[in-house]
Amino acid sequence: MSEFFHQYFDFNYMGEHFWEVLEAFLQNLLIFAVVAVLALTWGLILALLRQLPGKKFMPVRFFTIAYIDLFRAIPILIVILLISGGIPFLEFIPKEIRIPHWFGKPDPFWYGTAALMLVYGAFTAEVYRAGIEAVPGGQMEAARSLGMSHWQAMRHVVVPQAVTLIPAPMLNEMISLLKDSTLVSVIAFAESVLISRELLAESFNSSALLLTGFFFIVIILPLARIVDKLIARNQGKITRGSHIEVA
Amino acid sequence: MTEQMVSLKGICKRFGELEVLKGVDIDVGRGEVVCILGPSGSGKSTLLRCVNLLEPPEEGEIFVEGNDICKGPGSGTGEQSWELNYVRQRVGIVFQQFNLFPHKTALENVTLAQEKVLGRSKQEARAKATELLERVGLGDQLGQYPETLSGGQQQRVAIARALAMEPHVMLFDEVTSALDPELVKEVLDTMRELAEEGMTMMVVTHEIGFAREVADRVIFMDGGVIVEEGPPAEVLENPKEERTKQFLGLVLDR
Repeated sequence: MSEFFHQYFDFNYMGEHFWEVLEAFLQNLLIFAVVAVLALTWGLILALLRQLPGKKFMPVRFFTIAYIDLFRAIPILIVILLISGGIPFLEFIPKEIRIPHWFGKPDPFWYGTAALMLVYGAFTAEVYRAGIEAVPGGQMEAARSLGMSHWQAMRHVVVPQAVTLIPAPMLNEMISLLKDSTLVSVIAFAESVLISRELLAESFNSSALLLTGFFFIVIILPLARIVDKLIARNQGKITRGSHIEVA
Repeated sequence: MTEQMVSLKGICKRFGELEVLKGVDIDVGRGEVVCILGPSGSGKSTLLRCVNLLEPPEEGEIFVEGNDICKGPGSGTGEQSWELNYVRQRVGIVFQQFNLFPHKTALENVTLAQEKVLGRSKQEARAKATELLERVGLGDQLGQYPETLSGGQQQRVAIARALAMEPHVMLFDEVTSALDPELVKEVLDTMRELAEEGMTMMVVTHEIGFAREVADRVIFMDGGVIVEEGPPAEVLENPKEERTKQFLGLVLDR
């Protein structure tokens, strides 16, 4: 039994490498923050493109739906590898873009964030869509009948209501995203999983990896409770009928 | 003859297999109040929604102030086009379910489209909205959100919101049907005042009393066609058609 504890719960070993692992974990938080901003924006754009009305926007809707389906179906790891293993060799792309070193971050960081943004944009688009479709159709009709354009009605009437309905599912996506930031380790970006794997390889001790897991738990558990609170609040809203008018 | 504000000619509308309107002709003169009665499914609401192209008709012509709004690009598809903007700036509509914007106060409900569509300044829009909300008796509720207002109050905000765009014609789509009985009067009173001020109105309603008092003309629809029309005294007191008699009998007998 002590062997087991030594392998996984060696507190001395954890203490020795605590700051090293924490610093690497901050890289995960950084990936998360950058991708969250990008994906929430990209997802909203996709959701709005998907809602464009009428015949003439049919191709736009078609390609948007195809994009969303595709990127929800393909494993993120494959997207990361396709980007990091392909883009650098496309010589028609300027070198600063093909091998980016923006803001002092190495190229694997940007390949990883790009891949995560492409995939999570598709997922968040679906969450936005659920919110938009939950807003009663009468809202769009009322706005349009006052002379607002489709875009104005979306901007001022539908989307502001839609986003109040979706914080819980959106937060779930963000939790997934934080965990998936560890996938960038496969293209040699020094985030927490890569660092703790290196430690595992040199010492054959798993405690650093467990410490990394612990950091994720510390951040994510409170978020999961917030999701529960948000769901409860939304249920209250629905039963009181304040946000959803029952037609 | 008075000037034609709205003129519908041979309006047909289908939802899939279901033929909702089978060739309807209506002329509405300036300042005229036309009440449209009929059983559910008779097509009266759809007809109203055709007038501002919320449900563009498949066949027929619609003239608003003499302009054909179904011709040209985008017609019949609900797409944005000059006709759509033209219509929506001249024709206001009030819905059965109010459809107020729940995330905006009463005042903001009335100012939003003024600012975004008419390009009025914040101050102009606020002044206009305050004036209109006072007119419908809600001068003391400007900062309230719709959820804190009664159904009758919400519907009056909706009327003020439509009036803020200075429409030439107002459409009322069963605006009292979702209200508690004791709240119906305040909304009808507001509409009556509007009629007295000379607003051109097309009113789909089940309120026979309102039609009798306020309407210049009553239209009875059933099965997607006009069964009978004329002054309220004629159609309501002395209907010629069997179907009209039957309907009025059922409605008035309650």
